[in-house]
Amino acid sequence: MREVRRRPRGEALAAYGFIAPNVALLGLFVLVPLVGAFVVSLQRTDGFGDGEFVGLANYGRLVTDPVFWRALATTAGFTVVVTAASMALGLAMAVLLNSVLPARGLFRSVLILPMAVSGVATALIGVLVFDQNNGILDKLLGAVGLPEVNWQSEPVPAFATIVLVTIWWRTGFNMLIYLAGLQGIGPDLHEAARLDGANGWQRFRNVTLPLLGPSSYFLVVLNVIYSFQVFDIVFVLTGGGPQGATNVLVTYAYDTGFVTRDQGYAAAIGMVLLLLAVVFAVVQWRASRTRDLVE
Amino acid sequence: MQLSRRAFLAATGAVAAPLLLPGCGFVGGSGGSGSGTGAEGTLTFTTWGTDAELAGFRSAIEAFQQANDGATVELNAVPYEQMFTNIDAQLQAGNPPDIFRVPYYTFGAYAGAGQLLDLSPHLSDGVQDQFTDTAWAAVQNDGSPFGLPHHTDTSAILYNRTLLDAAGITDVPTSVEDAWTWDELGQVADRLKAGLPSGTYPFAYNWQGNGVTRWLSLLFQADGAFLDSDQRTPLIDSDAGRSAVEFSSSFFRNGWVPDTDTTTSSTYAADTWFSGTVAMVWSGAFQVPDADSTADFEWGVTYAPVGVRGGGDFGGNALVATQATGQPELAASFLEFVTAREQMQAFCQAASLLPTRPDLLDGSLSFDVRPETTDVFVGQAGQVQPQDAAQVASPSMSAIIPVLKTQLDAAFLGSQDAATTVTNMAQGIADATGA
Repeated sequence: MREVRRRPRGEALAAYGFIAPNVALLGLFVLVPLVGAFVVSLQRTDGFGDGEFVGLANYGRLVTDPVFWRALATTAGFTVVVTAASMALGLAMAVLLNSVLPARGLFRSVLILPMAVSGVATALIGVLVFDQNNGILDKLLGAVGLPEVNWQSEPVPAFATIVLVTIWWRTGFNMLIYLAGLQGIGPDLHEAARLDGANGWQRFRNVTLPLLGPSSYFLVVLNVIYSFQVFDIVFVLTGGGPQGATNVLVTYAYDTGFVTRDQGYAAAIGMVLLLLAVVFAVVQWRASRTRDLVE
Repeated sequence: MQLSRRAFLAATGAVAAPLLLPGCGFVGGSGGSGSGTGAEGTLTFTTWGTDAELAGFRSAIEAFQQANDGATVELNAVPYEQMFTNIDAQLQAGNPPDIFRVPYYTFGAYAGAGQLLDLSPHLSDGVQDQFTDTAWAAVQNDGSPFGLPHHTDTSAILYNRTLLDAAGITDVPTSVEDAWTWDELGQVADRLKAGLPSGTYPFAYNWQGNGVTRWLSLLFQADGAFLDSDQRTPLIDSDAGRSAVEFSSSFFRNGWVPDTDTTTSSTYAADTWFSGTVAMVWSGAFQVPDADSTADFEWGVTYAPVGVRGGGDFGGNALVATQATGQPELAASFLEFVTAREQMQAFCQAASLLPTRPDLLDGSLSFDVRPETTDVFVGQAGQVQPQDAAQVASPSMSAIIPVLKTQLDAAFLGSQDAATTVTNMAQGIADATGA
């Protein structure tokens, strides 16, 4: 009896030992700053000295702040468009590259390359492409007789630029995850479906797609959270303009915290961002039926 | 199917990498700065700078160390982008450098928050008289100096001679008395617009980013003010305010500037000038070396326009000591040393910046690069009034800047009328200063 009990305790200790470094790092660099940010969000402070405790006043201000609501709407719109488009494109590319495409190794590398480029560098490339006075894209449009687009000074085209650049950046990653998922689907299932008379689309719709459930779940959560946290691309490419059209939650929090130096209010925006990400992850966890689907 | 552990780790690592990299940069940037409690006689000095500026600081430090046996100054050069997130973090953590460099429009935020050393008890007698009244006004907080004005800069107009010649504009002002009036500038812009190829614009104004303080030049030229002398009460809701907004909005309405020239744009005005998209650009002297090496066209420099009076923004940087320094005397003597005539002259000439000492504004300054442009910038700096510079030293300036940026953007691209714009500005400034 004693033998039986001792072993699990030893195993548990070993397990705690293995996760301890991770938990310690997570606690130190994520949880402690999170609690700190929450405390700051209850203060009115310019960051120097002790702030003045104001309770939930910063959160109250958020409710009546039109700039916050507009930034939230912009962030949500950006998230929906970017997540849907980059996942659909990623899946399409993964399916193509999972087939017998010539030089698929080369294509895979080319598609994944943007991932290796930092967000700031990606955005700077975007500036060269979308510059409306000297950019490559407007010159090309002009050369083929199409009207030039005011990518930088009109709200909708400016929003389109941050969406396009982010999709370019992220599609390769989505493709990689989908490709891993596709390669885990055994050929026997497709063969069986084919014998049952399913055509290509039916096999994709009823065999491939459901079995990619875990990949899709992972990608939706990751894409949504990263889209909500978008900063570098917007900051460099549009700076939140023109007329606030591309101002997202994090650029608003940054401006509030580090330009205006209203750090309590900026921390409150950050807390809202955290809350939205957590709520989304939980809802998605409960709602996804194919999350753990396996062959 | 299940996502394999390996694939998940690879994916997570790939996603996390871009997040970690900038983090490393930040930590690295603050790494070498040390604390204010180092060995006796050692000062830490954090700054950003162009190559010429950093070379100037290094030779000043060397001269200071030779003149003061046992004193050392550790220079910590950081990229401008990291400069103030670093400084803020160090101030919050209680281990700031002894000395740092700060733009005049950011100076007030630190001085007003009690983070800087009041230099009054530590400075030699008569130091104030070595600086222009304007420069001295820019480092005051509550009636005391909290820094020394190291250099200034103000905007004149760089012009592309080839484009101006092509539009038939050959008569460009060569003295500050002959500077274009606002009306004359408008006429020049109309002639340029008519004479330039499509896709090319008469000019661009350098008010992007924190440079929005350069819009204030137009307000000062209209003989207006945005703050009262208490640095709290907004004065911008005035005829002068409306006139400055109206005039600057007309740049966009008349197609004198590209739409990307707005205050919130990520495209800097100078870049549109270098690429030949605009014929003229408002620019500080600091741009002269770049223009000399980069511009592939012939160019010259003339004075900013004159409205009701001449006026300009008081740009540039002060050197400040932190409240937490353990060596206030040594810090103050270093600041005095670096702003002495010989040091300031060498620094300004090499880096194309304007001095803050009257004994260098008497014609004795000559830029190393394109020396003939020196007099125009010095003359332009002479248009800056002390009461204009004093407003920019407001402790609330960092909260006022976003108000100006947003409201001007709405006036420039969103067609918000001048009256509404200045009313909103006044409200925003009052919120920022707590007036």
